[in-house]
Amino acid sequence: MSKAKKIVLALLLVIIAIQLVQPARNNSNVVQKADMVTHFNAPANVAGVLKTSCYDCHSNNTRYPWYATVQPIGWLLANHVKDGKEELNFSEFANYSKRRQLSKLKSLQNSIKDGSMPLPSYTLLHNDAKLSGESKALLMQWTTKTIDSLSK
Amino acid sequence: MKTILFGIAIAASTFTACTENATQSQEATNTDTAKANTPATNGAITTASTNEVVAHYLHLKNALASDDSKEAATAGRAVVNAIDKIDAASLTADQKKVYDEVKDDIKEHSEHISTNADKIAHQREHFDMLSLDMYDLVKSVKPGQTLYKDHCPMFNDNKGAIWLSEVKDIKNPYYGKKMLTCGEEQEEIK
Repeated sequence: MSKAKKIVLALLLVIIAIQLVQPARNNSNVVQKADMVTHFNAPANVAGVLKTSCYDCHSNNTRYPWYATVQPIGWLLANHVKDGKEELNFSEFANYSKRRQLSKLKSLQNSIKDGSMPLPSYTLLHNDAKLSGESKALLMQWTTKTIDSLSK
Repeated sequence: MKTILFGIAIAASTFTACTENATQSQEATNTDTAKANTPATNGAITTASTNEVVAHYLHLKNALASDDSKEAATAGRAVVNAIDKIDAASLTADQKKVYDEVKDDIKEHSEHISTNADKIAHQREHFDMLSLDMYDLVKSVKPGQTLYKDHCPMFNDNKGAIWLSEVKDIKNPYYGKKMLTCGEEQEEIK
């Protein structure tokens, strides 16, 4: 066997081996009492946009694509979701202090305005998660209303 | 075979781009635990530390006023480090209540400012919210120096934003040299 073939074979073995290490899934079966949508009783259209465009990385429930079972992609996704939830977890929203809820909502508005969220690397593979002008307006309107009611 | 490997490499690089903050938040948590173990001391230390947070905040404010996002990032990092040094045990009950409420928020906004050295607009968005927290903090734990609460009417789509300053002259951190002297003093905090 030539040297090149050996290297390719070794790499192949490593790739097969890492498939055995599957990361834990971010899928909670518990009812999310502190969820933002439930907590503020958000209308269905707002909830729909949030769930499609934000909840994969910012909640306790991720809809996984098929390639999440392929390593190391699955690991990277797991890491990504962990970071996303650390920053903002809609499933735990009501557990934040009022001040934090306000600043999270303002940050949410800012990222919609700047177009920094959802991340381009995410919308590249999740075309449905891209925010249309209409969805953006809807989110802005609802968050403004919620911010006002919280600031009272 | 090669195509598969190449594909994996591309996918890997796409996803790693978003994970760079992971180590930093880890570090922050570590310092958290370390600082929590520092023994309690008297009130004088507390004031010194609050003053330190204020000093770094003012440094940040001045950096934004001179449109220097790199300097702002450095100052943001210093605020994160200083806020942990405040010894909560030596605060009065009322002060502690305010401190507990603003601490995480101050940390989070400063953290964002420190990791966005190339995005001054984003830094300013967080500076807006940080300033509200800082105001509540200095209203409760008296600052060691006179501070001015200034108001910029234009920021936030004309909803306005405040900032704290150590000087009476207006130097607007939200617009920098574009509108440096725009704004008005609202309150003197002693």
